[in-house]
Amino acid sequence: MITKLENARIYDPTNKINGKIKDLFIKNGTIIDKPKRNEKISKIINLKNKIIMSGGIDIHSHIAGGKVNLARLLLPEEHRKYLYSSSNKLRSGSGLGTCSSFHIGYKYAKLGYTTVFEPATLPSNARSAIIEMNDIPLIDKGTYTVLSNDDFLLKLIQKKTDQKKINDYVAWIIQSTKSLGIKIVNPGGINAFKFNQRELDLDEKNKKYGITPRSILKVLTKSLIDLKAPHPIHVHGCNLGVPGNIKTTVKQINAVEGKPMHLTHIQYHSYNNEGDRKFSSGASILAEEINKNKNITCDVGQIMFAQTVTASADTMSQYRNHHFAHPKKWICVDIECEAGCGIVPFKYQDKNFVHSLQWAIGLELFLLIKDPWRIYLTTDHPNGAAFTAYPKLIKLLMDRSFRNDEFSKINKYAQKNSILSSLKREYSLYDIAVMTRAGPAKVLGLKNTGHLGIGAKANITVYSEMDDKEKMFENPYMVIKDGEIVVKNGKIKKVFNGKFYIAQTDYDRNIEKEISSYFEKYIGRKMQNFKIQNQELWDHGIEIENILCDRNDY
Amino acid sequence: MKNINFTCPFCSLLCDDIQLETKNNNLKPLNTSCPLLLSSLKREIKEQFPRINGQKTNISQAIENLSILIKKSKSTLFAGMGTDIKGTKATLEIADIYKCIVDHFSGDSYVKNIKSVQELGGFFLTLSELKNRSDTIIIIQSSYDTAPRLFEKYIFPKDTINNLKKRKIVFIGSKVPQFLYKNIKKISFEHIKLDSVNLLNFLSRIRNSINSEVLEIKDRRLLNFLKLLKQTNYGSILWSVSELDNNINDLIVTEITLLIQELNKFTRFSGLSLSGSDHILTVNEVMLWQTGFPIRTSFQNGFPVHDVNLFSTKRLIDNKEIDLVIWINSFNEKKIIINKKIKTVLIGIPTHPQKKNVDVFIPVGTPGLDYNSHLIRLDKVVTAPLKKVRNISLPSVDQVLNKVKERQFQ
Repeated sequence: MITKLENARIYDPTNKINGKIKDLFIKNGTIIDKPKRNEKISKIINLKNKIIMSGGIDIHSHIAGGKVNLARLLLPEEHRKYLYSSSNKLRSGSGLGTCSSFHIGYKYAKLGYTTVFEPATLPSNARSAIIEMNDIPLIDKGTYTVLSNDDFLLKLIQKKTDQKKINDYVAWIIQSTKSLGIKIVNPGGINAFKFNQRELDLDEKNKKYGITPRSILKVLTKSLIDLKAPHPIHVHGCNLGVPGNIKTTVKQINAVEGKPMHLTHIQYHSYNNEGDRKFSSGASILAEEINKNKNITCDVGQIMFAQTVTASADTMSQYRNHHFAHPKKWICVDIECEAGCGIVPFKYQDKNFVHSLQWAIGLELFLLIKDPWRIYLTTDHPNGAAFTAYPKLIKLLMDRSFRNDEFSKINKYAQKNSILSSLKREYSLYDIAVMTRAGPAKVLGLKNTGHLGIGAKANITVYSEMDDKEKMFENPYMVIKDGEIVVKNGKIKKVFNGKFYIAQTDYDRNIEKEISSYFEKYIGRKMQNFKIQNQELWDHGIEIENILCDRNDY
Repeated sequence: MKNINFTCPFCSLLCDDIQLETKNNNLKPLNTSCPLLLSSLKREIKEQFPRINGQKTNISQAIENLSILIKKSKSTLFAGMGTDIKGTKATLEIADIYKCIVDHFSGDSYVKNIKSVQELGGFFLTLSELKNRSDTIIIIQSSYDTAPRLFEKYIFPKDTINNLKKRKIVFIGSKVPQFLYKNIKKISFEHIKLDSVNLLNFLSRIRNSINSEVLEIKDRRLLNFLKLLKQTNYGSILWSVSELDNNINDLIVTEITLLIQELNKFTRFSGLSLSGSDHILTVNEVMLWQTGFPIRTSFQNGFPVHDVNLFSTKRLIDNKEIDLVIWINSFNEKKIIINKKIKTVLIGIPTHPQKKNVDVFIPVGTPGLDYNSHLIRLDKVVTAPLKKVRNISLPSVDQVLNKVKERQFQ
């Protein structure tokens, strides 16, 4: 069956289409070339005055895993504020920032997103996280496994093990935990916190292993390049949230010496410590570095003013920040000689100087980093805000007068300390399509999504063009997933599960001898049971999409 | 006869280092004397008929009857909930469709932990952290009944990443911890004998003194304990809420949480709740991700409503606020409450002694014995894969409930 979408204006940056009116054809869930005369078109959808982009891709959103469940447990009051009834098609649920699984899928679909990555899956928690993610319908999903604090890796680096063996370990981890890539979180710092170190800068030594975050960062960055992994190293750096951390962030960029690196939620890593209150924007400094270093991609982790909850594997930082918990309760966990997790609820308020400046810093970064192919739209859901705030964020980027109106409402002292109102840039629809579709797909190594070319998945979002960009983006006219209409006029029409992306790595099997003995001796489990088997995922009805490790642009 | 590697489903440690000898569906562990595993494998299945009003029937008739009961019911409770991830998912789907309530066998005690987290949060650790980091382990009134191999595997191990020599273990409580006395050579062990009220006071005094500069304490035992805490590099506090005095267990858990917060101001300390019987953690985790709330959640309004007191199994049955209770237990023969004025269904193992006393009995297999399964470990982080090890044609909880779901529109 062939469906034709006609008369819509198309924004497809991968294929350099910028608002051209063009027909699209869909067959068996895929975009095809114009059919031959003898091929029957079964359905024609007229989309005059509509705008088409491919389905949105969220490169960094905490949608599943132990930390999200702990946050749900911690905050029943937040869940009681947002209750969703069941219906014939939909399950019941609750919550916003830590929304229950089915409704994460419904909400993303309604926003026109069709692919989302959970960015911080601990190796030991991967199995639960993937089973949990199978209850998030309508979107394709994947995870990045957290490395950089596990005792096995730190020991390898301490012993100056050759890169080849570390690559085998990294590939083994990706394969065993069924992820798309590797995320660094506060390299060595989470481990150091277990030895009561309360901070760890890029060149400070971890007490137990005597190695620095810099050495971990360099080794893991190289590993992913050597493995030709689809996504370069995904980095949550040192000193998250610490005033003055901009210096560390710049040093981190220099530490990888021109190699590809994705810096995540850079808003939290762009703080200077100037001024009376020793807290100021480092956005211009970081933007200049990123503009200069073409090897760097980033996402922002914008904050928006509302109650939310922060959830991170960075126990060191979360413990440091627990004094700011709102409401006054928090959770930290030390986890399986791998890393940890910290849950701290936050209420970002526009009258608060620090929160206001954080908001402005995020927007400054969006506007000062010139190339939308290297900066992606995120709120580090739910840390900066729930992903449901994306439409408002898009409006802030596209509409300077709205942005300046909002700026005038924030803390006055923060206004004085931000250059935001002087920034004239307004994102175009093409730019938005780059930063929410084409750019993330490119950096994630996903070839068949994020665009509307022949062979792409028919993941398509249709918007009604409106002046108010928030309204336009929060309520797409139609969302198509794998060729099926799943949302129309804000209503879910059909519910099914998306695919689960896994990178196909290979490694020298010899590494398993050492890992197996480490597991028996220290972890108290069999390595064989740590490794997730495809059969287990199939038993849960999970459909796997393998991504080859063949990236050739490193 | 063959020997196989086996992951044990009978407690939430989910030990995967067990060698099992299998012969005609008889299973014999070769390398452990875990009392829970031995007693669980001893059950001899003589017959596995479903029953209606105690009379034998076939599976489809039993499922048909269960479906009719659910459709007719104005208020259904899923109780016990001894099941795995898939079983919980299937239960929640039915609960959503038919607007039921969900509680668990361990609800009464575990809600004290839930409430403490909901009010204060906490600082926790997982089993391999306990094993490799803790130079001091404080055990509050916990025996090893709920997790028999915890001590052997995680507290007395030879090799640790931190190269711990002789751990300091302090047992605080009124019980006599024989299992610690037996291992006195491996550990440095002290027993602070206190009844529950004094235990609460002791913890509270420690908390108030640990970071104060002026100490007015003369009690030598308390002073020694304070000194130990101050010398600790990484400590952990273990408790089992079901073994604490029911009248003040919530206060004790709160006090432990606050003490750990105080200790982390100058050293590292984490806590581990040893509650996990009948896989409440598995059920709770799935409930949290699918609904946003833990156990004791009702779907009667069409959306989830969570209340730790209102939706207690005992309260709902005693007050007859439900007209149907569906007990699920695929692990053991734990006694269920039967109230003749409330229709009662048991989806349980075939040897359950109350199978003839309920309106409908549907036999099911045990996860990890009769079918492949996933269960969540004591620390809520690790999910273990379990594999089928015998062939006796018993359905799983999710297979039974999915059949019920299929009859929704019939």
